[in-house]
Amino acid sequence: MNFKDLLGKQILFFDGGMGTLLQERGLQTGEIPETWNILHPEVIKQIHKDYLLAGSNMVSANTFGVNAFKCKTLDYTVEELVTAGIRLTKEAIAEVKKENTAETDHPMYAVLDIGSIGKLLKPLGEISFDQAYDTFREIIIAGDKAGADLILIETVSDSYEIKAAVLAAKENSCLPVVVTMIFDENGKLLTGGDVASVTAMLEGLGVDAIGFNCGLGPEQMKKLLPQLTECCSLPIVINPNAGLPVVVNGQTVFDVEPDAFAESVKMLVEMGASVVGGCCGTTPAHIRKVVELCGKMDIAPVMDKELTVVSSYNHAVYFSRKPLIIGERINPTGKSKFKQALRDHDMEYIYKEGLTQEENGAHILDVNVGLPEIDEPQLMEEAVTGIQAIIDLPLQIDTSDTDAMERGLRYYNGKPMLNSVNGKKESMESVFPIAKKYGAVLVCLCLDESGIPETVEGRLNIAEKMIKTAAEYGIPKKNLVMDALVLTVSTGQDNANITLKTLHRIRYELGLHTVLGVSNISFGLPERSRINTAFFTMAMNNGLSAGIVNPSSEPMMAAYYSFNALIGEDDQCMEYIAKASQTADKPAAAAVFQSGALTLDEAIIKGLSESAYEATVKLLEQNTDSLTIINEKLIPALDVVGKGFEEKKMFLPQLLMSADAAKASFEAIKANLSKQGKNSESKGKIVIATVKGDIHDIGKNIVKTLLENYGFEMIDLGKDVDPEVILKTVQEQNVRLVGLSALMTTTVVNMEATIKLLRENGLHCKVMVGGAVLTQEYADMIGADFYSKDAMGSVRYANELHDKGEL
Amino acid sequence: MNVANSEIRERINVREVYRYLGYGTGTPDERVKTLTECIIENLANVVKPRNIYKIYDCSTTESSVILTSGKTLSFESRNLAANVAQCTRVVLLAATLGIEADKLLQKYEVLNIAKAAIIQACGAACIEAYCNILQERICNACSVDGKRLYLRPRFSPGYGDLPLQAQKIIFEELECTKRIGLTLTDSLLMYPTKSVTAFIGLTANPQGCHINKCEICENTECEFRNSSF
Repeated sequence: MNFKDLLGKQILFFDGGMGTLLQERGLQTGEIPETWNILHPEVIKQIHKDYLLAGSNMVSANTFGVNAFKCKTLDYTVEELVTAGIRLTKEAIAEVKKENTAETDHPMYAVLDIGSIGKLLKPLGEISFDQAYDTFREIIIAGDKAGADLILIETVSDSYEIKAAVLAAKENSCLPVVVTMIFDENGKLLTGGDVASVTAMLEGLGVDAIGFNCGLGPEQMKKLLPQLTECCSLPIVINPNAGLPVVVNGQTVFDVEPDAFAESVKMLVEMGASVVGGCCGTTPAHIRKVVELCGKMDIAPVMDKELTVVSSYNHAVYFSRKPLIIGERINPTGKSKFKQALRDHDMEYIYKEGLTQEENGAHILDVNVGLPEIDEPQLMEEAVTGIQAIIDLPLQIDTSDTDAMERGLRYYNGKPMLNSVNGKKESMESVFPIAKKYGAVLVCLCLDESGIPETVEGRLNIAEKMIKTAAEYGIPKKNLVMDALVLTVSTGQDNANITLKTLHRIRYELGLHTVLGVSNISFGLPERSRINTAFFTMAMNNGLSAGIVNPSSEPMMAAYYSFNALIGEDDQCMEYIAKASQTADKPAAAAVFQSGALTLDEAIIKGLSESAYEATVKLLEQNTDSLTIINEKLIPALDVVGKGFEEKKMFLPQLLMSADAAKASFEAIKANLSKQGKNSESKGKIVIATVKGDIHDIGKNIVKTLLENYGFEMIDLGKDVDPEVILKTVQEQNVRLVGLSALMTTTVVNMEATIKLLRENGLHCKVMVGGAVLTQEYADMIGADFYSKDAMGSVRYANELHDKGEL
Repeated sequence: MNVANSEIRERINVREVYRYLGYGTGTPDERVKTLTECIIENLANVVKPRNIYKIYDCSTTESSVILTSGKTLSFESRNLAANVAQCTRVVLLAATLGIEADKLLQKYEVLNIAKAAIIQACGAACIEAYCNILQERICNACSVDGKRLYLRPRFSPGYGDLPLQAQKIIFEELECTKRIGLTLTDSLLMYPTKSVTAFIGLTANPQGCHINKCEICENTECEFRNSSF
């Protein structure tokens, strides 16, 4: 029987720890355990056999720590170590079968055991998602080829890394995939995910079983298990440590004995685990006791929880009776400023739109970055990765371009929402496979080749057709959310009625969750928010599960919170009261602000962004020329602050607050210029980067902000930037000044390498450098043109070059 | 060892934050003060501090330090040897505030660079406070039979002549990645960034145990140097 045939049908047993057993057998500190697959194969095989004889069904090959990064320092390749590891499990299984003829019906499987790479993924960390994927891919191809029966991804604690591993497994083998993660006692992954959020993601990606291992003992896992059984529709695997680590004589040990361990594991099985084993500190003796105690137990049947859920890296959002708010603002349709931001590749603009919506109460953010003249797949990837780095909400990838869909979904850290598919054959054929692969909750528009039906029945028919077709692709109803479609009531007086009735029947007859782009109802009418809010309330009352709306619209959100209070989904009206009091505070705050209106230079010197913006708008309204504002108000004010900073009369926070205020002023100027069809003038391009190997970004970002204020066009290449990338940018964009930042002595060498590469290629650009360990002497030594000891130094230098006409 | 976030909050030295921000011994204006207080509050709420440590017997020569506990680890460094010369025991400690501090920083680098700079400084003060609490507790736990032990200043890879390469040994020995989610890059930087690995000497000699780490640093031009050295 295959592993998959038994999984979830009968209790199955993993093996236990490997590391401690190897140490007992002489593995030294500094020695890589996996090299023993080749150096001491008999020892490894015997451990596998001990576990099999103790009753384990699955023996994990000694491949946990194998990866390309680790193999760099070894004499063996990934393939060699993995192949040897799998071979030993298979030999152990064959020998046990042969030697114990009585127990030949005991199912035994060779497991390709994959652990964490041990490096954090970008954007916070060092390696890219694709690098992580490739690293796992290499292991999986080798393990599959060597004949593994299943893949165990274990002791992982970063949902993004887990996703890379699962995709690598799914795309490069047909083996069953089991994922067990390391949670802390509060049920959190190290990167912030919780049980519900990763479960949603993993079910979406189509893994075969999910569970916990390492980190905790069986007792602690008992407390955590209900969180998993509550949301998980797959068989549950639990491989605990033999207790929490305790330090004895300075060494870490695990001290739960086999009997006590087995008793606890028995309770875990009673609570819903169907595959159990052990991790750190557990031995064949532990597993033997577990098998003795639990071998005859019935397991709880695996039930589909029928949850419609999306997740971000750190939390899950469920569709339920209480409607959700999907923020609609990250979308260029009808917004000239947004379109311009996309053309300018102004990601900050997009991020701020996202953050505002998060603050205003959105639960999910729609992300649409489609413009005919841009590379949408590329921008979608950037937007998704950028937004999820700083915003906690789940995202709805919104595009009609299937390449952009795939890119957005692939790099998304969680279980995404996808907008959208419709009832056209072509749409279903292209979108369903992508949605299935990445486990997206898919928005289905009730239209097809014949257009948008004018009747309720017509729309329901299309909905049913999509449900049926989705099922053929393996997409369950719970992953479909129907959009009943809204046509403006100004062109057809029955339009709202049709939508509402369709909504009601989809929700209560077909049993699907629903979504609507609510504000479409009022196109062509004055005072649209009046109609919108009324319609929104009616729609929610007719079964709307999620409204795609503007969370910054107070009337809409008021309708939303009121609705929740009225249907009894707001405990003691707490949320309603909290929001109502927030709104009440606002006018008062605005009034205070009005009374103390400042001039632009005062606002910048004091570092007050809103006042600076207002003051600039006022100057522009008085027809003051943009250049005059910049040269006679803004720059002199910045100079005052900069001088104060250099004389140590003002300090970094003040300098930066002024920088932010100046930035706000520039926004007003830019908006005004673009109204006149002009662009702001640049004093010259500067490339800025934190060098390869270095991940500390803030110094570079401070310098960038200040230089921008002084009118330089900044090309920010980010952190950990390869010298080649810097060279290419300088060449292609004909840049005359490069700013490099490095924090540590270990990365200053890459600063030197970058400068050398620029010089070798005959580029005469100037290079300025800065960072914690640098000194003038050091800067001279590595061939920099200028050493900036603080952020203002770089401004002075750039201005000098500009004045000399060298930029 | 569990330390409550509220306890860390109590121990954050706001004067250190101001020093990191360039104020020296001066005090910022009310606005920066208020902002700093808010950020400390926020940071102390979101961080997920974790630590792992082991305790060793220690012996030193002039230029090396040998730690033993079942197995033996040795480090070549005159400065480290001087730091722990009178110590019978040495603690290897790894502590991190977790990824949350980096997340917060990343967010504000986009939103508000002034706040980001303050978060950076508060994060540094926060991990210092956390390490201070940890080392005191470890020291107290080691002080048995009426024999009080005293702490030498923490000493980390990269200080003086102790190379950053020592990180590799510490990471493997303490299983930092698996136990507390701390990772080491190829260029030997730590992720999450608000993290510390350190040697902490424990000595029966109470003398000279409150030495600032600026003592062994060669960069005498450093803006943040404690002026008494």
